[in-house]
Amino acid sequence: MKSVKMEKKSPRSRSKENCSCLIEDLLENAKTDDRLCEVSPNDIEVFIDPDPEKTSYNFYIRRMTDGLPIIPPTRDRVLKFMAYTDRNPDDLLAVLPPRQGKAIIEKIAINSVMAGCLPQFMPIVQHSIEALSIEKFNLTSVNATTHPVAVCTILNGPVSREIGASSGDGCLGPGNLANATIGRAVRLCLINIAGAVPGIGDHATMGSPAKYSYAFAESESESPWDSMHYEKGFDSLTSTTTVMAVEAPHNVNDHRSKHAEELLETISHTLSTPGSNNSHVPGEVLVIMSPEHARTISRDGLDKQDVKNYLHENSLVSVELGDRGGRKLDKKWIVDGNIRITRSPNDVVLVIAGGDGRHTMIAHGFGTSSESVTLPILFKDGTPVQSVHDFKE
Amino acid sequence: MKFKVVEKDVLNPLAEIMMVKEELNPIPYDFESVSLLDNTKPGANVILELLEKNLGKRKFMRAKKPAGSPATIKQLEKAANSEIVILALGDCGSCSSWIILDAIRLEKMGKPTISICSDRFLNFAHELAKSHGAEDLNILSIKHPVAGLSTEEIEEKTIQILPSLKYLLQIP
Repeated sequence: MKSVKMEKKSPRSRSKENCSCLIEDLLENAKTDDRLCEVSPNDIEVFIDPDPEKTSYNFYIRRMTDGLPIIPPTRDRVLKFMAYTDRNPDDLLAVLPPRQGKAIIEKIAINSVMAGCLPQFMPIVQHSIEALSIEKFNLTSVNATTHPVAVCTILNGPVSREIGASSGDGCLGPGNLANATIGRAVRLCLINIAGAVPGIGDHATMGSPAKYSYAFAESESESPWDSMHYEKGFDSLTSTTTVMAVEAPHNVNDHRSKHAEELLETISHTLSTPGSNNSHVPGEVLVIMSPEHARTISRDGLDKQDVKNYLHENSLVSVELGDRGGRKLDKKWIVDGNIRITRSPNDVVLVIAGGDGRHTMIAHGFGTSSESVTLPILFKDGTPVQSVHDFKE
Repeated sequence: MKFKVVEKDVLNPLAEIMMVKEELNPIPYDFESVSLLDNTKPGANVILELLEKNLGKRKFMRAKKPAGSPATIKQLEKAANSEIVILALGDCGSCSSWIILDAIRLEKMGKPTISICSDRFLNFAHELAKSHGAEDLNILSIKHPVAGLSTEEIEEKTIQILPSLKYLLQIP
């Protein structure tokens, strides 16, 4: 394995073993029947892809994978990803803790190749890495903690649809290339750039299946309400990536509620979970609501803010159960002998996704120790990327 | 003709490290005041209280900070009001991280520090300090676990670190 400094779109360098023979000489004055040129050690060099099994194993024993096989990150594969960024390979996006690794574009591309991404996914991975480096995300703690917090990447806007990210049936997996590999690329960047290697820079007691990959898109067309990125101030033509530090999702199966309040009651009870970080240090929660559930609530006249208000007011645990977490319970969180699991309605991050069916997924957050970050997918001049094909123009 | 089959190189996914070097502050030969910075992890207060009782007649000042996230500037400024700051407790990944990183922030403010982490997180704490340019940061280890134990059990473990602490502080 070589660490080769990459120049963007550079032509392949000429071999030092070139013999300078003219092609006419080679064809007309060949001294033997089977050699083109006696000066060169070889007549033809054939470049082949590395064996994926061997490369995967070599990377695995160096602790540079998530344990699954990888696509060998050859120079030509990585160069294809460079076509979908307007940055230079050595542009520094961020320095990622705990290892204080330099997240340069080339390293993000290499890890994206390994994850199995298509080159067109590069803008999403690049901006996701930039998002999780923002201070309020607190990547230091998210990476190092014993808690099983994972990084969930939520996509909005036209680019997510263009690359085929799933917001529908089975959007949390398995089965969709963009969702599966973008989430995995983010994880591989955390391992190889940030140093979040289990037991070394990542001290999760057990880890989580959500740490392999955790990405999906919002189903904006199926939502009765404004999309999440619109709530955060972005228009429908702007694509965004949101990174959020959350546990693996927990299902809320409610097939029988016919009205908003019954359904929200079920969801709030699932959210009211002792032992979650939110139960002693209240913070954000992710609520991924199916379109059917959203319509049941919407047809009773409730808007998105009403849902957030209800879940904030009614999702709580008793002080006795809440005060068993990792940090001493601050009295400011106690309301009538209970602790709300969110600090305000805005801590309820509500996203509509999924196919047919009457389910909602909830995921507790990392408490007060991390805030989600939404970044628009932009060219470096600040204009929004409306299509990945814009990079080719 | 001679054919040579060449396997393509693969590129290295590991990032280069941002190298920095922080100047650390020596422990003063004699000192009158100590800040005890408690990150509210279970047992941190027990450890700090017992240290206070065993470090002679000095002025002790208590301050608090969050466990899994950075101290606020106000919290750091309060802690920096003494000549030395002792921080406890790093006994998990996120709290050890912010014990070490807040200790480095205090060192940048000119205050010598001693951080207390459990032995299971000691290597990580040293590596983290090193990657942030503070390889020689003072870190004392207490036997893991601390959380989930009685006050008496935590005090017993704290007594065991007193000789090392006094050696670092150069006091009898």
